Amino acid sequence: MARVYVSSVINGKSDRVWARVRDFNGLPSWHPGIAESRIENGEPADKVGCVRDFRLRNGDRIRERLLGLSDFDLFCTYSILESPMGVENYVATLRFTPITDGDRTFAEWTAEFDCAPEREGELVSSIGGGVFQAGFDALKRQFGGEGR
Amino acid sequence: MIRLVRSTIIDAPTDRVWAFLRDFNGHDQWHPAVAKSAIERGQSSDKIGCVRRFLLRDGSELRERLLTLSDLEQTFSYCLLETPVPLFNYVAHVRLAPVTDGDRTFWEWRCSFSTRRGEEAEMTRMVGEDIYDAGFAAVRARLVGQAPVEGRA
Repeated sequence: MARVYVSSVINGKSDRVWARVRDFNGLPSWHPGIAESRIENGEPADKVGCVRDFRLRNGDRIRERLLGLSDFDLFCTYSILESPMGVENYVATLRFTPITDGDRTFAEWTAEFDCAPEREGELVSSIGGGVFQAGFDALKRQFGGEGR
Repeated sequence: MIRLVRSTIIDAPTDRVWAFLRDFNGHDQWHPAVAKSAIERGQSSDKIGCVRRFLLRDGSELRERLLTLSDLEQTFSYCLLETPVPLFNYVAHVRLAPVTDGDRTFWEWRCSFSTRRGEEAEMTRMVGEDIYDAGFAAVRARLVGQAPVEGRA
């Protein structure tokens, strides 16, 4: 089982950050790697179990199922159903926690998955850097730079 | 039941912050409110269930029991047994998490308790500011801007 953990500090209150990312169909509006997204079967994007079908800027297509969503604890958990990445049993959680010392937010993005052993290092680095950290970098820019 | 949470970012890796927090008998070494600490019955300070006795700077005493301690999660929790102030059913949780974007530490300190009617605001202020915020500031002052020293935090 491979694990990815990336965390960061965003310079905005957690309810504002959450409002930005809560929409399971909203990746193209904040993540620079995502070109377009839709929810299958016309379901609402906050219906647990719904499936998003999105396309990356590099043309790859990924389908993911929403497994959990909490407006109280500010997290979203999802699994990959279909992707060109060569991962299995992929489950990820994006979570936000208020930093009471200043109006900032602690952001954590974790994933666990199985893959061919020789590809683990490359996948951990591309998911952690290219997807998770890239998303946090975009949020940091959108909320006014590095949160100290 | 009052719930209180305070959190901050420390500009040091979690291992260095954990080195301060992990010793349940070591808080007199860094927290400005604590003058002396001792573990009762000669127990080890990482034995779950051990009781620490604090002599506070103001001369009062309190006793707290260690409920959980995890080196993997870098968390611990404890409850108050005896206290000079009206904090009842007080249970606190401390957790550290790495900020991988910068090798810093997210430190959260939360608790729940009840108190006498009319003292809610003062007890909340006292715990949040005099204990938690003061603890953050003390560890930050000890760690930030200092080079790591071999063998100690």
